[in-house]
Amino acid sequence: MVGVGAGGLASADMVLNIGPQHPATHGVLRLRITLDGERIRRAEPIVGYMHRGAEKLFEVRDYRQIMVLANRHDWLSAFSNEIGVALTVERMLGMDVPERATWTRTLLAELNRVLNHLMFLGSYPLELGAITPIFYSFREREELQAVMEEISGGRMHYMFSRVGGLRDDLPAGWLGRVAASIAAVRRRLPDLESLLVGNEILRARTRGVGVLSPELIEAYGVSGPIARASGVDVDLRRDRPYLAYAELFAPGGPGRVVVRSAGDCLARLEVLLEQVHVSLDLAQACLDRLAALPAGPVNVKLPKVLKVPEGWDYVATENPLGFNGYYLVSRGDKTPWRLKLRSASFNNVAVLGELLPGTLIADMVAILGSMFFVVGDIDK
Amino acid sequence: MTMTDLPMPRVGPLQEATPKPMRLILNWGRRYSLWVFNFGLACCAIEFIAASMARHDFIRLGVIPFAPGPRQADLMVVSGTVTDKMAPAVRRLYDQMPEPKYVISFGACSNSGGPYWDSYCVTKGVDQLIPVDVYVPGCPPRPEALLQGILLLQQRIASEQPASRSLRKKSYADRRAAAAVLSRPFVSAQDRERLAGAPSESDVSRGTSDASRGTGDVSRGTGDVSRGSTDVSGEA
Amino acid sequence: MTVTEVVLRCLIVLVGFLVLPLLIGQTEHKLMAHMQGRLGPMYAGGFHGWAQLVADGVKFVQKEDVVPSAADKPVFRFAPALALASYLMALAVVPLGPVTWGANVPGSLVWVLAVGGIGTLGTLMAGWSSGNKYSLLGGLRAAAQLISYELPLILSCASFAMAAGSLSLVAIGHAWTPWWLIWQLPGALVFLVAATAELQRPPFDMPVADSELVFGPYTEYTGLRFAFFLLAEYAGIVVMSLLLAVLWLGGWTGPFDHQIGVLWTLLKGFGIALVILWMRMSWPRLREDQLQRIAWLWLVPLALLQIAITAAGVVLMSR
Repeated sequence: MVGVGAGGLASADMVLNIGPQHPATHGVLRLRITLDGERIRRAEPIVGYMHRGAEKLFEVRDYRQIMVLANRHDWLSAFSNEIGVALTVERMLGMDVPERATWTRTLLAELNRVLNHLMFLGSYPLELGAITPIFYSFREREELQAVMEEISGGRMHYMFSRVGGLRDDLPAGWLGRVAASIAAVRRRLPDLESLLVGNEILRARTRGVGVLSPELIEAYGVSGPIARASGVDVDLRRDRPYLAYAELFAPGGPGRVVVRSAGDCLARLEVLLEQVHVSLDLAQACLDRLAALPAGPVNVKLPKVLKVPEGWDYVATENPLGFNGYYLVSRGDKTPWRLKLRSASFNNVAVLGELLPGTLIADMVAILGSMFFVVGDIDK
Repeated sequence: MTMTDLPMPRVGPLQEATPKPMRLILNWGRRYSLWVFNFGLACCAIEFIAASMARHDFIRLGVIPFAPGPRQADLMVVSGTVTDKMAPAVRRLYDQMPEPKYVISFGACSNSGGPYWDSYCVTKGVDQLIPVDVYVPGCPPRPEALLQGILLLQQRIASEQPASRSLRKKSYADRRAAAAVLSRPFVSAQDRERLAGAPSESDVSRGTSDASRGTGDVSRGTGDVSRGSTDVSGEA
Repeated sequence: MTVTEVVLRCLIVLVGFLVLPLLIGQTEHKLMAHMQGRLGPMYAGGFHGWAQLVADGVKFVQKEDVVPSAADKPVFRFAPALALASYLMALAVVPLGPVTWGANVPGSLVWVLAVGGIGTLGTLMAGWSSGNKYSLLGGLRAAAQLISYELPLILSCASFAMAAGSLSLVAIGHAWTPWWLIWQLPGALVFLVAATAELQRPPFDMPVADSELVFGPYTEYTGLRFAFFLLAEYAGIVVMSLLLAVLWLGGWTGPFDHQIGVLWTLLKGFGIALVILWMRMSWPRLREDQLQRIAWLWLVPLALLQIAITAAGVVLMSR
């Protein structure tokens, strides 16, 4: 049991169940790991504790109701999830969305990305034992949640997009308040940054730990910030633009894809931090554009019973945590025949089985936290 | 599979022995020292965290979120969707908490299943598993709603008289558990087989031969469910 | 020393042992809260939640006392008492003033280090006896940690003893001069780091590591026994802070030290305790092997260097 160096001594491996309710799994992921001392020999993520059967429930909800469930599977990226459903249905209907709605959606999606990343920037140090950064990140979250709440009425589940656009027009003066919030967050972000990447202990705990190779990323379909931290330069906002991203990621635009090559926990954290800056830039660009746009409708009038023509389509969006795809099969009913969800966290967590063996328990926590997953996104 | 009765939970010595006037002080202590164990399951867990952060800050009320496990907790906040797969773990963690203990069901999912009311795998309300003291509605509820729930619970604690006799009324002391679940050795027979069966292990022979005197001796490892170790997932 | 005096001194030590840790605990609550833009406990006891820890205590005595049936029961029950008693015994010999001490034994420094080491044994016993895998891992981490900090701690104390030419804390306090602040600075730093490791406080809280091992050795403890461990942790902070205050900051020496010498010791000790608390609020946790690395590559050489400096200083000054 005692030591790594106790090669000559007989020792029994120990099976340790991390989770389903363990402080490090922030949620209900379960890891079954086989230990030799503190060194992990085998790790097996066991998923399904949060399986709520959302895909089956999609089949008995009409396209408006689907949004309620769709924005709940990854509860930290609610707006991005809504957008995915809306885009899928709109594409199958061949519907054109007003420009104002598109830019507002982009704005909200980017704010949502910042909210998501701030959550992880707070919870990751907590897993490494630093208790203070989460208070800083939640201060910024509250700042942004206030404007999100003003427009949508919800702090987490916005339910603001509809098929064909948005629920309501923007409140008067809202754009100015968003600009103020963005400025405030941008101003205070260095505080948080210095607590994270400026801390020598945190760097020592994360540098060179849990290195993920590009080959493994491709094999497991890992995406999002985790893939980009390993040098896999892929971002659907740029590679397969949707919403207004084609313009934002055009040459000379504010959009840029953050890539690191180290592939360790520190690189993943740095990507997240840098993406917050990029998203704030994008949100600011959306604001400027929205202010310049003439007044106009933000949604398309829909028939009372919304039926999607027979056929299928797959739309993937770049969610904060990675690719989020909806595969929609319709038979012309008012409910989908099948709506398959491709969620980012499921693939991202699957790679843990390859990543963990050979590391220590303390590193396991560092790696687990740096995989930035949401359990609902794993189990659907 | 034989069934065994779990032992009757008891409250601490002071609570049982004191006369009534002292109860005021005892209730005051329980009221303002609610170490909370966040059973974070879904979206609501984020709002629970938000409630513990600077803006809402339930630590003001004496709700201390530093209890990492159930053993040190007085209050369990079930925040999120309880699934049928998770249900045994919820029950087990509740059983592991020492008396007197309280439960707040936070959010529509744990109150009633919420938006997943017609799902095939969601438990329609955590009160089917454990007794709930306060329900907080919302999907997810705002942090202010949790603060209100905590205040309600505190008012309730201030006027109660816990004693081991009254615990039976809470409808869980009659619980029975399968004997197989009760014995939880460090290295279960299954695990030993798994270890032995794994081809890539270099020290399989060492692993199996020493299992009996390995980490904790197997003969000693008969914890019952509520008194067992804190990793909640069963070996079975 | 009369019997009354002995009883009185014992009583004072006991009261100090029960009050000072609570003071540190409440300070931690409030300090942490304000560093994080919060208020901390506000309701218990009325004024700024001053009675939060009293409420905690009142609650803990009411809690059910659970002993896991997988536990090694006698050891499990005894462990918290051992952890607590060791720091009580240590506090008894730490002088607050030239005549304010619980007991004045000739080798009180050795005594403090010896009984302080026993406290860790309580953690080890708890880790082993709980019958829980997380506790076991925590216990083993505590054992590994023991190896890393014990030597630097003793070496740094040896330097102070050499400088004063005595192993008695009272004598060390008397021998202190402001010159020590610089002369003994490396030793004091080593002491602070090693003491933090012994107390299992962040950034060296790997044995308890709540996000890794749930609560390590204390995972299975409930009610009073858990409260004893908490009390032992904060009592440990008190002992180590006062010890460093006496060794390095001159204890009761200060303006008007004939009248308020005790206050000076407490104040200096409180200052050091604040530093120990502060580390928890700002830093993440190290890994066990990183602590070993720090201990053997930095602390031990630094402590040895300090001893050499001290020896040179003693020889030069005795000329």
